[in-house]
Amino acid sequence: MTSYQLALQQLTDSALPTGAFAHSLGFETYIDRGLVRDEASFGNWLSAFVGQQLTYSDGLAIRFLYEGFDLAGLDAHLSAQLLPRQVREASTKMGGRLIEIGTEVFPSAALEAYRTLVTTGRAAGHQPLAFAVVARSLGVPFEGALAAYLFAAVTSLTQNAVRAIPLGQNSGQRLLRKAHDDVAAAVEHVQHLSWDDFGAVSPGLEISQMRHEWQRARMFMS
Amino acid sequence: MSTTATAAELSPADGSPPAAPPDFGPCPSPAAPNPRKLWSGPSQQWAPRGARHAAAPKSGFAASSSNSPMGELSLRVALRAGRSVAVQQFHQGALRVLRPHYLDGSGQVCYVVVNPGGAYLGADLYVVDVEVEAGASLLLTTQSATKIYRTPGSFAEQRMTIRLGEGAELELAPDQLIAYREASYRQNTRITVHPTSSLIMAEVITPGWSPDAASFRYRELRLRNEIQVESDDGAVLLALDNLLIRPPLGDVTGMGFMEGYSHLGSLIVVDPRVDQALADELHRLTTGYEAYSGLSLTRTLAGTTGLVLRSLSNGTEELNRLLAACTGLLRERWYGRAPLNLRKY
Repeated sequence: MTSYQLALQQLTDSALPTGAFAHSLGFETYIDRGLVRDEASFGNWLSAFVGQQLTYSDGLAIRFLYEGFDLAGLDAHLSAQLLPRQVREASTKMGGRLIEIGTEVFPSAALEAYRTLVTTGRAAGHQPLAFAVVARSLGVPFEGALAAYLFAAVTSLTQNAVRAIPLGQNSGQRLLRKAHDDVAAAVEHVQHLSWDDFGAVSPGLEISQMRHEWQRARMFMS
Repeated sequence: MSTTATAAELSPADGSPPAAPPDFGPCPSPAAPNPRKLWSGPSQQWAPRGARHAAAPKSGFAASSSNSPMGELSLRVALRAGRSVAVQQFHQGALRVLRPHYLDGSGQVCYVVVNPGGAYLGADLYVVDVEVEAGASLLLTTQSATKIYRTPGSFAEQRMTIRLGEGAELELAPDQLIAYREASYRQNTRITVHPTSSLIMAEVITPGWSPDAASFRYRELRLRNEIQVESDDGAVLLALDNLLIRPPLGDVTGMGFMEGYSHLGSLIVVDPRVDQALADELHRLTTGYEAYSGLSLTRTLAGTTGLVLRSLSNGTEELNRLLAACTGLLRERWYGRAPLNLRKY
C-alpha cells in the first residue's frame, strides 16, 4: 500500500462534504431543455464535460500546479476564465471547503500558504487547485492525482444526475464504468496541451452554465 | 482584421469564394517561408511566476516571431477640443485605416480597418496596437469580413494590444470571421482598461467556407481575449475569454459544443456600470432572437465589472441583429448615441 492511498480515497470519496451534491455545473439546463433525459443522453453530456471543462480548465490547473506554476497566478486565471458566474462560484465554494477539510486532516505548509492567500483576499480558492495542493503535499504522483480528481468529479455529477433525471442506481454504475475511458483520455490529453489552451471551454457548455442563472425551477446551485 | 479577396486570389484548390467582395488589390504572398511562430505562452508580465512548460515559451509579442509582420497598424486616439482624434497613427504592409469619420455629434471617432492585400494566409502575422487616451472615444470596425485562407503547415495570426485610459471608450465591432478549408488562425487580443474605462466588443464567427459547402472544414480557430484592469496593486486579470475550435479533433457540432448551431457570436462589455440588473435586462433582450444565448458577469475588480455574452445561431445576420440590439441599448444608455448603422455594404 502506498503512503497516500487511503488519504486519496478519503479526499475523492463522494461523501467528502464539499457540497458537490448541490452542483450540476450546467447539466440541469440540458435537463430543462429535454436534451438530457436518460442514461444515454446524460452519458453524452458527461463525455463532453470531461473532454472540455475538466480537461481544459480543472485538469490543466492541476497539471500547472504540479509543474510549479505560481499558485496565486493560476488562481487568478481560473477566476478570470470561469466566465459563467455559477460555475466560478461553485469552484470557489467547493475549493474553500476542501481547503478547510484539508487543513483539519491533511495539513501541510503548501496548503497553509494557499489558505492564507484566500483568507487575505489574494486568491479565491478554487477546487482543482485546493485538491492539487493537498494531493501534491501527500506525495500523490501527478497522473494518479489527476485521474482521481477527474473520476471524483464524474462520480459526483453522475450521482446528481441519478437523483435529478432520475436514473436507476445500476444505470449510474454503468455510466461511471463508461466514464473510465473518458477520464483516461482526458489524463492523456491534459499532458499534451499548452498554456494557450488553459480555459478553452466549448461555447455550448458555457452558454448552458450561464443560462442556469435564469432557469426557473432549479434543484442545483449551478 | 479586414480582408477582401477575389476568386483569382485564391489558390486553385480552394475554388471560388462565395460572393467576392470588391477587390482592393493583389493578394500578397508571404515574402519568405518563415518558421512556425512559437508565440504560445503568456508574456512575462502576464504569466504566472514559475511558468516553465516547454510548450509555452515565455516570449512576449516582440520576441515571438523572426519574420516581420505582414501588416502593422498602430493608432492612438486622444481628446482634443471635445473631439476624439488620432494623435498618432502608423501603418505598414497589408493593414491600414480609412479616413476617420464622425457618425454623430458625440465626438466619437470611427476608424475602419482595411486589409488592402486580401485574406490572411499561412504564417501571416498582423499586429494591431490601439490606445484610447483619457476621455477619448473610438469606434473601430472593419471594412469587410476577416477571411483566413488555407494555411498549410502553418497558421495566420493577429495580435492586438489595446489600452484604454481613464474614462476612455472603445467600441470594437469587426465584421465576421470566415475560415476557409484547411485554415488555421490565432487571434490574441490583450486589453488593459482603467477602472473607469468603457469597453464594448462584439464578434461573430462563421462555420467557415469550403468548396463543397460543408461546414467546419478549417483546421483550427483560436481566439483569445485577455482583459486586465489597472489597479493600485498593478494590473489584475478580469476576464480570459478563450475559444478553441479544432474540427479535425472530433465533432464540434453537437451537444456540449456548438449544440447543433453553426455560428457563434460573442459580446464582451467592461464598464463600472455593468451590474446584475443590466445582465438581467440583456438576458431578456436575447430571448427575442433565433439564437441560443447565455451571459454572465465576471468578478468585480477595482470597481469595474465585465459581462460576457455568447450566442449560437444559424446565421451571421441573426447574430449581428442580436449583438446590435445589445450594443444599441448600451450606446444609448451610457453614451446617449443612436444604435450603430455602419452601412458598409
